[in-house]
Amino acid sequence: MRGWDLVVQPFSYDAAFVFMEEIMQRFFFNKRLIIVLVVLIISFVLVAFSITVRNNKATPPLVQQVGNDAAGMADRVIAYPANGLKSAMGSFSDLMNTYSENQRLKSQVDSLASEKVKDQTLKRENKKLKEQLKLNKTLTDYEKISASVLTRSPSAWQNQVVISKGSLSGIKKNAAVMSKKGLVGRITEVNKTNSKVELLSTTNDSANRFATQVMTKNNKVVNGLITGYNATSNYLVMGQITVKTGMEKGDKVITSGLGGNSPKGLYVGTVAKVEEDDYGLASKVYVKPAADFTDLDVVTVAKRVD
Amino acid sequence: MRISRMRYFFPLGLFVALFLDGALSQAFAGAMFTSTLAIESRLVLLWIVMAVCFGKIDHILVWSILAGLVFDLYYTGIIGVFVVILPLIMYLTKLMYRFFTPSFIVVLLIYLIDVTVATVMFYWINLLIGFTNVSMAGFIGLSLGSTLAYNLAVFVLLYFPLQRFFESFSK
Repeated sequence: MRGWDLVVQPFSYDAAFVFMEEIMQRFFFNKRLIIVLVVLIISFVLVAFSITVRNNKATPPLVQQVGNDAAGMADRVIAYPANGLKSAMGSFSDLMNTYSENQRLKSQVDSLASEKVKDQTLKRENKKLKEQLKLNKTLTDYEKISASVLTRSPSAWQNQVVISKGSLSGIKKNAAVMSKKGLVGRITEVNKTNSKVELLSTTNDSANRFATQVMTKNNKVVNGLITGYNATSNYLVMGQITVKTGMEKGDKVITSGLGGNSPKGLYVGTVAKVEEDDYGLASKVYVKPAADFTDLDVVTVAKRVD
Repeated sequence: MRISRMRYFFPLGLFVALFLDGALSQAFAGAMFTSTLAIESRLVLLWIVMAVCFGKIDHILVWSILAGLVFDLYYTGIIGVFVVILPLIMYLTKLMYRFFTPSFIVVLLIYLIDVTVATVMFYWINLLIGFTNVSMAGFIGLSLGSTLAYNLAVFVLLYFPLQRFFESFSK
């Protein structure tokens, strides 16, 4: 009706104003709708903001750090009993298969001592040679910071754990993180007293860019990048391979130290299979990771010293 | 003036449930995150749903927003996801609960709907920002089914203790 009035009346600001007001009232009458919309917009802005901060800045904003540190403190009270329960259960299952394990290990122990001596001599020789060449720091030098794992994100999409050391202990963003067996991930967020580790098993687009190399049987080196993770087979995918030849199943894969975030020589895993990629141009190497990403209690952060 | 003890117990339990989710995921990661299933522990959701159904709690909206904020800050580092999902679930539960008489089955069904909504929303947001590329069918098989089964089991175990707790302290 109002619309019809507007058509027959000569144009007047008054009428237009009343008309607009009525539309606005009808539209904005539903307060609940407005609240929902505003909340959604705020939420999207926050998500966008935190993704940008996550990728660009070395540390999160101070407010976020303080919140995280407070949460970390509270979490320690709950995490320690839970981890105690886990280790109690672990020691029970350890006890059950001690005998067979002992048999297997006995054979390895004898050779280990001689390996160790050889390792020490080589290390000493290496140090002396470096001194002679006046090489103070190389890619293989790093400091170790060990930390315990506080908690894991209860989420199917974030393969993330929180560890108990932060910037106060000298942890830097993008540093490599290892378990006892091998490389497990990288630091994505550093707070004062805790930090977040994104595991290699994540499928996040912006993760998993470790520079690695395959050491082949005939002493050649093949460089590449860890570009992804195959969840069904539990293999890391190594792409961007420089040369194709010479790789065999069982060859060791280590970090190459290129790219500036991780030191050289951290053990990643062994080659499981080599495949042509989707276009037949380069090859894709599937790497069986040495570390178990679901069984972490103590981790070591490798801090480059150069 | 008598102050209900729930004023202290509810936030305390809320954050214990929140941190217990992470602690359980860490302790049993080998069983909860495999190549065929991914279980998301949602004790914090159970706490909120039981509180809405059986407790009389002041400022429950504020507390659920706070719990969501801590979840986002501490577990994922992406703010704006659970800070919206948790209050929404609280509101949804209140809305549904109004039409029913309280019983074990009714609360169970409400809780299942809540967990489904929360899991689907969480998946959708992660898909949107590129943290996962699992398809909808893959998500249902990998995460939704196992998450529902796990949370259902936890619900059956904790329903009666929590019901008694909230009813006795809310008088």
